[in-house]
Amino acid sequence: MISHRQANAQRIAALDERAEALHLKRGMGIADARAMHPSIDVVEADPETDRRLLESLADWCDRYTPLVAIDAADGLYLDVTGCTHLFGGERAMLDDILSRFFHQGFDVRAGLAATPGAAWAAARFSGDRIVPGGEEEALLAPLPLAALRIEPDIRASLESVGLRTAGAVMAAPRAPLARRFGRSLLLRLDQALGRLDEAVSPRLPVAPLSVERHLAEPIMLTDEIERLVKMLATTLKADLERRGEGARRLALLLFRVDGAVSRIAVGTSRPLREPLLIQKLFHERLAALEQDIDAGYGFDLVRLSVLSAAAFDMQQADLTGETRDDSADIALFADRIRARLGDSAVLKPVAVESHLPERAVAMLPYAEAPQRVSAPKQPDKIQDTSRPVLRPERPIRLFRSPEPIEVPATEMPEGPPLNFRWRRALYRVARAEGPERIAPEWWREAAGQEATRDYFRIEDSDGRRYWLYRQGLYGASQAAPRWFMHGVFA
Amino acid sequence: MTPLDSSAALWNLLEHNRNNCEWKLTVMATSAVARETVFALRRQIAKIEGTLPERLQAPAGAAPVDAPQDPTADVTPKNIPPKNLTIVRRGLAVAPPDAFVRTGAEGLDTALGGGLPKAALSEIHGAATRDAGAVAGFALSLVSLILKQGPRLPVLWIGTAEIFREAGFPYATGLHRLFGIEPEQLLFSEAPRLLDALWTAEEAARMTALAAVILEIRGSPQRLDLTATRRLHARAQSAGRPVFLLRQAGEPEPTAAPVRLVLSAAPSAPRQTIAGPLAGSIGRPAFTVSIGKSRTALPGQFTLEWNPDERSFEERRAGERRQERAANPVPVVSASRRGKDPAPASGAVLAFAAVGSPAAGDQPSPGERAAHRRPRRAG
Repeated sequence: MISHRQANAQRIAALDERAEALHLKRGMGIADARAMHPSIDVVEADPETDRRLLESLADWCDRYTPLVAIDAADGLYLDVTGCTHLFGGERAMLDDILSRFFHQGFDVRAGLAATPGAAWAAARFSGDRIVPGGEEEALLAPLPLAALRIEPDIRASLESVGLRTAGAVMAAPRAPLARRFGRSLLLRLDQALGRLDEAVSPRLPVAPLSVERHLAEPIMLTDEIERLVKMLATTLKADLERRGEGARRLALLLFRVDGAVSRIAVGTSRPLREPLLIQKLFHERLAALEQDIDAGYGFDLVRLSVLSAAAFDMQQADLTGETRDDSADIALFADRIRARLGDSAVLKPVAVESHLPERAVAMLPYAEAPQRVSAPKQPDKIQDTSRPVLRPERPIRLFRSPEPIEVPATEMPEGPPLNFRWRRALYRVARAEGPERIAPEWWREAAGQEATRDYFRIEDSDGRRYWLYRQGLYGASQAAPRWFMHGVFA
Repeated sequence: MTPLDSSAALWNLLEHNRNNCEWKLTVMATSAVARETVFALRRQIAKIEGTLPERLQAPAGAAPVDAPQDPTADVTPKNIPPKNLTIVRRGLAVAPPDAFVRTGAEGLDTALGGGLPKAALSEIHGAATRDAGAVAGFALSLVSLILKQGPRLPVLWIGTAEIFREAGFPYATGLHRLFGIEPEQLLFSEAPRLLDALWTAEEAARMTALAAVILEIRGSPQRLDLTATRRLHARAQSAGRPVFLLRQAGEPEPTAAPVRLVLSAAPSAPRQTIAGPLAGSIGRPAFTVSIGKSRTALPGQFTLEWNPDERSFEERRAGERRQERAANPVPVVSASRRGKDPAPASGAVLAFAAVGSPAAGDQPSPGERAAHRRPRRAG
């Protein structure tokens, strides 16, 4: 028996068959129930866990149809339109669902009808029933008002005027019903009877393409999964070619025999349709996830879906039949690294218009970085035309966050330090150049708090060159200026 | 796995004895039988190590050593050495001249037998993490030299999160200005663990679509052993692309890399202006390169200066910088640091002139020098 707190009292939220046999009911106070049967076992409700369980069941139901929606706290909608023939008809499919759930240890009721409302009512009130199209009225008529999915207060007021079954409501004139009980009653009624369409919003976006394979014998080994991925990708290739597309995101769904579903997604930086390459990507991903995927008793259904696709531009082969595209190689390489080490494993610098050194280069993941379309310019042309005569020197390495250094003394108040202490070591400044003043960008928010920086190029007594800056000005601000190490020169 | 593969001990032996033993063997093996044995051994070693060509020089002092521009030149008849020397090329294949990255610094290139091998793993060491700028700068200037000649392919820089945190992340703007490598040509990979970085490097080393791969590691991790470096070296060889292994604060360990250079920063020469060197300024980057290990070279030390405009190295001879400085002791243009203060002449000179007699006119006694002109105290 499960209790939950409702209206400041512990009440029964759910109970099993044996508790029902003791004439306990939902909504009864725990104190009353204990008074009747002191030996009952009460467990606190955990809606979060229940939800997660329901979601994992929904994942598992993905094997029947990609359109799975969660209904309130205890139901699932499966839109099986066009899927039933894959499982040998409606009856066979329903039996398959029920028996598999039963073997997983769930007590499930199911109904199958042409409308979500009728299926809901069939599942909850008449149990394991298939309602042929057009017979929704016959199904609903004898059922209580609760089968109409209407709010409790509407139900109470309907009952108070003597309309106790759905059939009675259907027989009543529509206009007074709408006037008295609101539009939602008629809406629910029409939806259940199929006069109005009702959309069930699926949990996951439906993949434009997916291929799957049911396996008679569950597979457990990574090699077998990879081989299967290649077979599925080969099937997928024909579909992608027909659509003139390539996959940008792919997901591999592994349905375990006992109901757990593993979902493995890989992204590509350019549209892809070659089965071998797809297999390679999943090879890396599976290698990275080796610890996380528990094959258990094996997977009995493997599905490969294309989550998003993009137009695939064909490559023209040259006369020798070879296409030499280095950037494609690099894209594939980046994808493989990304599949194994995460999205930001391969970074590409992108120049940003900014004076602040740390903002002037943005590091973007390879797949998101803009790809250069035109051929790269020749370096000598750049030197001749667009290069400004004098450009400030920039370090070759920049610390992600400038490191504070101790500067005991400077030669002049505004000048470079004579020596400094960085990471506990003392450095003597042999030569210095500067300052180069970089003010915060006033057009950005939060620039007001930042202080002006004066950068110095420093060469220490051993010849190493550093980039230091003094934050703030002497005498200008209340606090003494602070010194930071920001970069290293070659 | 061959028995040689499994015996790291033999490798260590080769590693340690390479520089010393070869000379002795070459010279001492006078009898034909012994020479045959040596050649057979050599061939076997070359097989194990790959077919890196080698030019063995005579021991120092035996004869003037020819320094051919082309590494293949010494097999031509006109360069046959005197009979008392035996010059042996190890390795079965004759390398084409573009098998090397020529640094352009004559001394270093000659010492390395033509330059750094292009299709190989090369180690570049820095003694401490604070040398990261010099180590990375030297590697990038080599990359810049490769890019200058070859196609404009991207460069991949792999590092562990640790090294990027400790030594700073490569800064694309600075790299562009100094080495002419455009941001579009750069790819970075930051791996949280060394194992991931090594895996990425191995995958990258076999790609011909990359101009070069830079793997940066801090310290001397156990993982980066002979096997790991040999895998990298073999992949670099088959792809024909260089892999630069940057090791910050690492101990020299036996690795499969044929060349190891130890880098440190050298004080830069002052900036050259139209009026001459600008005193107190920091000019072009300079590096001190010492050859830590090479199959051909004896240990040596070179000071190179990188010219960002020409994208080339210039070798600095010992004492060259001092002469330059001595020739132009006076700053021609006031540098920012030792900026000439325009004020002191007005009040101070008059006051001092009344009290003492400045000797010889142009040199005031030390006590009379303005504070800012005093030689700087260290520390």
